[in-house]
Amino acid sequence: MKRWLSLLLAAVLTLSLAACGGNAPAGNDASGGAESPADSSGGAPSADSIRLVNGKIEVDAALKKLAAMYKEETGVEVSIESMGGGIDIQGTLKGYYQAGNMPDIFVNGGASDFANWGGLCADMSDQPWVSDTDAAYVNEDGVVGFPYTVEAIGLAYNADILEKAGVDPATLTSPAAYEAAFATIDGMKDELGITAVVGYYTEPVNLYWSTGNHLFGNYEDAGLDREDTTYFDLLSNGGQLDVDRFTDFANFVALLQQYADQSMMISGTYDQQILNFASGKYAFVTQGSWIGATMTTDDADAYAAAGNFKVGMAPYAFQDGIDTILTNSPSWWAVYKDGNVDAAKAFLQWLTTDAAQEVLVMEAGFISPFNSSAYVATDPFAQTIVDYQNAGKTSGWHWLGNKEGLAQNYTGQVFNDYAQGNLDTERFVQVMQQVCATAYAG
Amino acid sequence: MDSIHPVRKVLSPLFLIGGLALLGASLAMDCMGGGPPPFYQYRGLILIAGILLFFAGLYLFPTLTHHRDIVNVIFLFPLLFTFGVTVIIPLLLGIFYSMTDWTGIRYTQFVGLANYAQMFHEVSFLWSLLITVLFVVFNMVLVNLVGFALALLCTSRLKGVGFFRAAYFLPNLIGGIVLGYVWQFVFNNVLVKVTGASLLTKTPSAFAAIIVVYIWQYAGYIMLIYVNGLVTVPGDVLEAAAIDGANAFTTLLRIKIPMIASTITICTFLTLTSAFKQFDVNMALTNGTGSVMDFMGQYLSNGTQMLALNIYNTAISKNSYALGQAKAVLFFIILACVSLVQVRISNSKEVEL
Repeated sequence: MKRWLSLLLAAVLTLSLAACGGNAPAGNDASGGAESPADSSGGAPSADSIRLVNGKIEVDAALKKLAAMYKEETGVEVSIESMGGGIDIQGTLKGYYQAGNMPDIFVNGGASDFANWGGLCADMSDQPWVSDTDAAYVNEDGVVGFPYTVEAIGLAYNADILEKAGVDPATLTSPAAYEAAFATIDGMKDELGITAVVGYYTEPVNLYWSTGNHLFGNYEDAGLDREDTTYFDLLSNGGQLDVDRFTDFANFVALLQQYADQSMMISGTYDQQILNFASGKYAFVTQGSWIGATMTTDDADAYAAAGNFKVGMAPYAFQDGIDTILTNSPSWWAVYKDGNVDAAKAFLQWLTTDAAQEVLVMEAGFISPFNSSAYVATDPFAQTIVDYQNAGKTSGWHWLGNKEGLAQNYTGQVFNDYAQGNLDTERFVQVMQQVCATAYAG
Repeated sequence: MDSIHPVRKVLSPLFLIGGLALLGASLAMDCMGGGPPPFYQYRGLILIAGILLFFAGLYLFPTLTHHRDIVNVIFLFPLLFTFGVTVIIPLLLGIFYSMTDWTGIRYTQFVGLANYAQMFHEVSFLWSLLITVLFVVFNMVLVNLVGFALALLCTSRLKGVGFFRAAYFLPNLIGGIVLGYVWQFVFNNVLVKVTGASLLTKTPSAFAAIIVVYIWQYAGYIMLIYVNGLVTVPGDVLEAAAIDGANAFTTLLRIKIPMIASTITICTFLTLTSAFKQFDVNMALTNGTGSVMDFMGQYLSNGTQMLALNIYNTAISKNSYALGQAKAVLFFIILACVSLVQVRISNSKEVEL
């Protein structure tokens, strides 16, 4: 009797809760707006506060300043939650979603992220800023992504060193030109005071994104028109690679390895890579425009000691005639459909105003995607991006749409193996084909 | 005392029905997300009132024969309820999700056992299984050996034994993630000057590095358990052995180890399960990287990725939540089997003693 009764009781309550639990998320979300004004004791967000999950931790301070300005102007409280570095932002957001703790504005990195949140992002096509930019993210739900910056991927260089070595960066549009330039600079290492020609780092645990996403992204897009997705489509179709193009790419990577800082190539960190470049110890570094922010903040002392040298960006010319760098909005801000939509939209619209753009461009170092913005960032790389854009020498970037986890779980390690010398060029190409096929099959 | 107070006969069903009604009403309001304004706002209070009323009715239930049983159930209920909410429901939901195409946000269809089939066709997953077993075997032996050796040292008549006990135990108090990053720095920036290339760059040495860090973290904990076991070995037995002329080694082998057999069982299973669940050090130290040139005809890029990390990466980084969930179910089954065996063995040992 005792056992029977306790079992029954437990079962009944468990089932009743399970039944309710299935509906609970939807129910809670739907009621979220209705209950918040009345239920102030529960700590629910009030109507005049919004929460933003930012994926660029390096601009946390600038965003918090914007939030303070916005509060002063409108009384609406904006709380900024910054995540960055190696943190899996989408995974964290899914946890928030399951816990009914979704932010009102959150960052999405590209096609696969937006596909995940399909039907859950608010359409912003009625907003005035949409007509002011061509970088908004649009899918079947409407205009769902608010662009806030433009970034560029190219081979960043120290213009002062190149000038001293007599290398004209404008000529770097073929593998042969690179080979000659690298050899020249390598021969003058002591005069130039550099430790290596290229700061090429392949550490796979924390820096996989540099090789697996950005460098690999050049295979997909370098030299192509912005809308040309030939190699991205090939990859999306079961993880195929174009062997000829990829072999040329592999040979170029081998060239980078040959002239890289050997002591750092295998296990150096991002911080060391940027610090060494900012200190003038490398002529080139395999990072994109975002390092400008680090060079002028964290590494400002070293950068100043090296003379605040001019920087620029050269194309990854692994084939003759590649003369474009890759530019794109690296991620977008989306508005959660069941959150505080109107307040969130108003905040995003406010971000395109003059006062907000000044902070975003001058302090956060963003390259504004909005035509009406009059500011040009003081970021060291801002001018070079503008130059490439004006010359029409930019390609899009499509690696954001690569299979999730491709860099972290597959290609990052392969680049590291290649750098370690465990794979020769031919085997590198084979292995890359194999891991891409595996990744896309899974 | 023998008769039931007539008031109870009236109150009990009243309370039971009233309680259930309140419970149902508050849950219904919450599930539908609306209700009459003054009540909807206080649905939490209504829920609690309903529960209390229901239990009051249960307590007053007009029976003498089963009154004690009812009281037992009432006392047991909080535990059962918590267990159900935090363990049973998530387990059942997890098994359900493993048979769908769940993305972590929603699912569109039921796929049956497809995830389970796919999991065993994934060479990298089989590799993770293999090295997890290897890791468990290495650690079961090494952690126990090191822990036992430290325990012997810390029960000897050395000066400052208390300090050493604390010092050996200290690494266990540091979180695995912190520890992993600290050791990553040591391997990549300090030891690299001795080893040439960082130990973490090649799969076998990276695997060894994880084992070393894990022993460093866990041996102190196991040592404490062994110390407790060794302290309980009766002094008269040791004295008798000494009088019989047994040297230190014989005493250890013939007296101490048999006397702490049950401790050894506990420690063995403790290291087994915890090594199997290894995640944080693995993630912080290598995040599963390391290459395997040829395993079952494939190049693998997850050389040091153990099972728990494989599950995490499948779900989070590769965005295959359902497949990750299926792997987690398998993980659960393996650990449940290990635990059952452990309970069996522990029980039979206790009978012997």
